[in-house]
This record gives sequence, structure tokens and C-alpha cells, in this order.
Amino acid sequence: MSLHEFGLQLMNGLTFAALLFLVSSGFTLIFGLMRIVNLAQGSLYLLGGYIGLSVIRSTGSFWLALPAAALAVGALGLIVERGLLRRVRGRPMSEILLTVGLSFIAADLALAVWGGDPITLDVPAAIDGRTEILGVTYPVYRLCVVALGLAVAGGLWALLERTRIGAMVRAGVDDREMAEALGINVKAVFTGVFALGALLAGLAGVVGGAYLSLFPGADTQILTYALVVVVVGGMGSLRGAVLGALLVGLIYVFGQALVPNLAYFVLFAPMALVLILRPQGLFGRAG
Amino acid sequence: MSASSWAPRARWIALGAAVVLLAALPYLVASFTVNLATQALIFGLFALSINVLAGYGGMITLGQAGFIGVAGYGVAILTTQQGWPLGAAIVGALALCVAAAAFFGLLLVRARGTYFVMITLAEGMVVWGIAQRWQELTGGENGITGVPKPSFAQEYWQYYYVALVVVAVCTLLIARLVRSPLGLSLKGIREAEDRLAPLGYDVARHKLAAFTISGFFAGVAGVLLAMYNSFIGPSDVFFLTSAEGLLMSILGGVGTLTGAFVGAGVVIFIENDVSSWLARWQTLLGVVFVLVVLFAPDGLVGAWARYVWAPLLRRLGAGAEAAAVEAATSTASAAVVGGDGDGGRAAVTAPAAPAAPAASATASRPEEARSS
Repeated sequence: MSLHEFGLQLMNGLTFAALLFLVSSGFTLIFGLMRIVNLAQGSLYLLGGYIGLSVIRSTGSFWLALPAAALAVGALGLIVERGLLRRVRGRPMSEILLTVGLSFIAADLALAVWGGDPITLDVPAAIDGRTEILGVTYPVYRLCVVALGLAVAGGLWALLERTRIGAMVRAGVDDREMAEALGINVKAVFTGVFALGALLAGLAGVVGGAYLSLFPGADTQILTYALVVVVVGGMGSLRGAVLGALLVGLIYVFGQALVPNLAYFVLFAPMALVLILRPQGLFGRAG
Repeated sequence: MSASSWAPRARWIALGAAVVLLAALPYLVASFTVNLATQALIFGLFALSINVLAGYGGMITLGQAGFIGVAGYGVAILTTQQGWPLGAAIVGALALCVAAAAFFGLLLVRARGTYFVMITLAEGMVVWGIAQRWQELTGGENGITGVPKPSFAQEYWQYYYVALVVVAVCTLLIARLVRSPLGLSLKGIREAEDRLAPLGYDVARHKLAAFTISGFFAGVAGVLLAMYNSFIGPSDVFFLTSAEGLLMSILGGVGTLTGAFVGAGVVIFIENDVSSWLARWQTLLGVVFVLVVLFAPDGLVGAWARYVWAPLLRRLGAGAEAAAVEAATSTASAAVVGGDGDGGRAAVTAPAAPAAPAASATASRPEEARSS
């Protein structure tokens, strides 16, 4: 691998890591606070991408598609949390199975509405060019994905650490009952965090749809990556999601370049190592 | 003859009727239905392998299709590419599957509850990834065609009997397993994992054994499936297959042997028959999934035991057995679908199972006296 190609793959790895972070940050937030493993997170990603596609087709605007898909999927998350997950609260297995059932439904309805052909969203003209970075000519759009990933990571950190709402969320994570006793409306916080996680997945769908492709099965694929990210980084930890996304993104991209047949298997290696050496994940809490 | 002496026999009569019906099936119905039954048997065994973990060990897996993949691809590659005779290829494929299950199991022994689910999902997807990507070995998306059937089972009805016998033997083995010391300690893991270690149980070793055994039976289903379709492909290994297996297991009723086959029958029916008039049959499966989780955590067999079988036994004068039937199905599902996954809360309900039959046995004695 030449230095030039190394630089290129490094950039690809960072881009993929940014996308992975968008999907898995919501996943890990939802788990950290609510202890729900949302296996429909991949479906929310795919739906976000497809909704973005429809918005682009009808209005021609990628910039409108981003917030529209994010908000629509966020609203869907709100409905799912209020209407279904709340009914099985406190029974993690039921919650998991419920999200699996929902992912069946979402995958099938998406197939009915948007068909089975792989689709890639058009990148807006303003950021469609290429630019020189690290001695590599690299698509501007992908650099924007990295920037968005960084911005969302910073935004989530600020939200959790620097705002009153963030303090409520952290209190809920640390001790749900005590938080409730102190007058925090934990139920509302739950709904908010779930909707936020869904919103991020929807956003990631549009972002990812413009550089990977959208197809039936993309939901499970991105979900698998997100699972590996959070298992490596530690469930419920935002820092863990950042580090996990970087590790998984880079390992996957370099794995695909060096041993394309075994890219999936290579991806699995860091997870296996972490599980053996530190089962709670790099930044997870013990127990 | 008194009514009460019929009650213990009712179960055997039902079982006998089922055996006769299954044995005579190819003489009773058309080839299409026999093929559906073959599939239901194969996927029933698959669901049962999930049930060994979920129903008896409280460990929910979403990667079980990976073992269909290892064994199915194993037999396909060994026969079509390496030229092994079928019998040797089956043995080789199952050995490979057991090795893979043991390896995956090693990564799982310290995981529990939700972590267990996520790791199994990732493991299953790794197998899928290899099936999908490693073109030279697995044929990529095209899969591998031309997997042979045994020479004595070329006809659809002959293969049905092969599947029936293999699945029946496996089911008997599993039935024995869940009553064995290993099966009992699995139940212990399901109910209260934390309390087993201080009692001197090597929880990790039991989990590993259960996972490996479960992987083996899923592998048997994989071999049967590859031979049935003469084909194995990435979609057989995909997450949806794992999730469908879990749906079959829960729909039928976790912690029951018959439930897996009932669940498999319903799902196979929806996939093959309902799909001919309802394009969105997969949505229907998803809705069934959600409804079962919300409203019928002990599945169809649980509902049957509660609303049909137990009242019937009671009418026949076997109150004790009726109570046992109810208790057995409800604790398993409470611990898995309704439980908190870490065994803590489910443990509260654990004493109910052994206590219920004893308590109602004394209570029902006067009734028996009256009826005889």
C-alpha cells in the first residue's frame, strides 16, 4: 500500500467512522439511559435515507432532505416510544423483541414503497467537488460528513455536560429512582432521548445514503456495525461511541482494502478482543 | 374405568395421534403440503435449538442462523467443491459447526441479558458477511447450488421421512437434555444466574456447553435445509432468518418442545401460503411478532395449555397435572419474554413451579374421590 493510498484509505476510514458515530451515538444514548437495545436503529437509518430520497425527488433539495428526514424519523421514534415501548418498560427482552418486530415491518414497508434496487442519493452541487487534503484529492462531500460527525459529537457532549436537560439525562442514567424523587420527569426525558436517537439515525440515513447506497438489508448492515461500535466502546458511553466508531471505521476500511474477502471477519476481531479482555467495553462501566 | 385414570394418558394419546398423523402425512396430502411440512420440521428444529438457550437457559440469541450457515455451507462446499461423499461431508460440516459454536460461545460466557443478544447478532452477521463476500469459497450472493440429497431420498416424500426421523431423534435428544443435570442448571441460569456461582456451579462452562449444543442442533437444521433446497445462500444466514427462528420459538411458546414446531408451522405457512395472496406477508410476520410480545408472552402452546389443555385435564379430574401444565409454561415465558433478562426479577417466580403441583395435588384429592 503506497503512502498515497494509505492517505486515501485513512480519509475513507474517518468518513465511515463519522457515519458510524451518527448511528451509534443515538443507539448508545438510548441504551445508557433507558437500557433499551434498539435493534430498529438500522431501520430508522434506512427509513431516514429513503425519506430523504423522496424529499429530494419531489423538491430537488438535499438541504431540505436532511432536516426533513431527521425530523420525520425523530417523530417516528417518539410515536414508537410513546405507543409501544412504554408498554413493556422494564422488561429488556420484550423491548428487544419489540424492536426486532418493528424492524421486520419497517424493512418490508420500505421495500413496498421504495423498491429493492440500490439507490445512492445525489450530493448537492455546492459540495460535490474534490479538494486536496493530506496529499490526497478527496471528495468534499466526505469531508463534510467528517465535519458533521465532529459537530454532532461536540453538540451531544455540550448537551449532556453543559445544559440543564443534559444534567437530567445524566441523573437518569446514574440513578433513575433518585432522579425521579428529585422531581425530574424521567418519562419525558426517556421519550426525548429516544426521539433524539431516532433523529440522529434518520440524519445518518440521508448522509450515508449519499455516499454508501440504500438497499434492503442496509438496515441490518449498519445495525451490525453500530453494535460492534458500542460493544467495543462500551454501552451507554458517548466517548466510547467516538472511539469505537473510529476503530471500527478504520479497521473496516483498511480490512476491505487489504483482505476484501474477510472484511467482516476483520471487523469482528476487535470486538472479540474487547469481549475477552474488557467485557464491559473500553469506556463502559463494570457490572 | 374412572375419569381420572384417563388424564395421565391424555398426553400420550395426543402424542401418539401426532406421530401417526406425521407418519401418514405423504399419503394424506399433496406434495406442496408435504414440502411445507418438511420445511416446518427443519425450521422447527432450528427454533428448538434457539429454545434450548432461550426457553431453558434464558439466553436470547439473534445469531443462530450463523450455524445454519456454517453447517449448510460446510456440507455444500465439501460435496460440490471438495468431492467428499455426502455422509462424510455431513459429519465434517457438523464438526465445523460445533467448533464455530464453541468459539463463539467462548466470547459469550461472560455476557448476559442484552449484551448476549447483541454479541450473538454480531456473530451471526460475521458468518453472513463471509457468505456474502468470500466469492471464491461461498459463491457470494449466488450461493452454492447442487447440494446433493441422500441417494435413498431423492423424491420429495422420501426426503420428508428423512427430515422427520432426523428431527424426531434430535427432539428426543433435546427432551432428554433439558431433563438432564445440564438442563436443570440451565434453568438455574435462567432464573438466578447470580446465585448459581456461590452454590459451586461453573456457570461459564454450563453456558458454553449449552451454546455449543444449541449450535450443533442449528447446524443439523442447516444441513437438512441445504439438502432440501439443494442450495445454500447468504439469505439463509441473514439476520432475518435468526429473527424468524426466534419468532417461531416465542410464537409457539418458549420453554416447550412442541412450541418450536407450532411456531415454525405458523411462520412457514405465512411465508409460503399467505404470501401467495398477501404481498406484505413480512409485515404480517412483524405485526405477529409485536402482538405476541405485547399480549401473549407464553405463545400459542402456552395459550393452549392455559385455555384448552388444563381445563380439559381438570374436567378429567387431574387437577394436579393441569396446574403443573400451567405452571411449567408460564414460568419459562416469564423468565424470558416477560422477565428482566438478568434473572433477578424472574427468580421471584421460580418457587411457583415446583410448589404449584404439590399444593394443588392435595387440593384436588377430594375432587378425585368424588368423581371416581
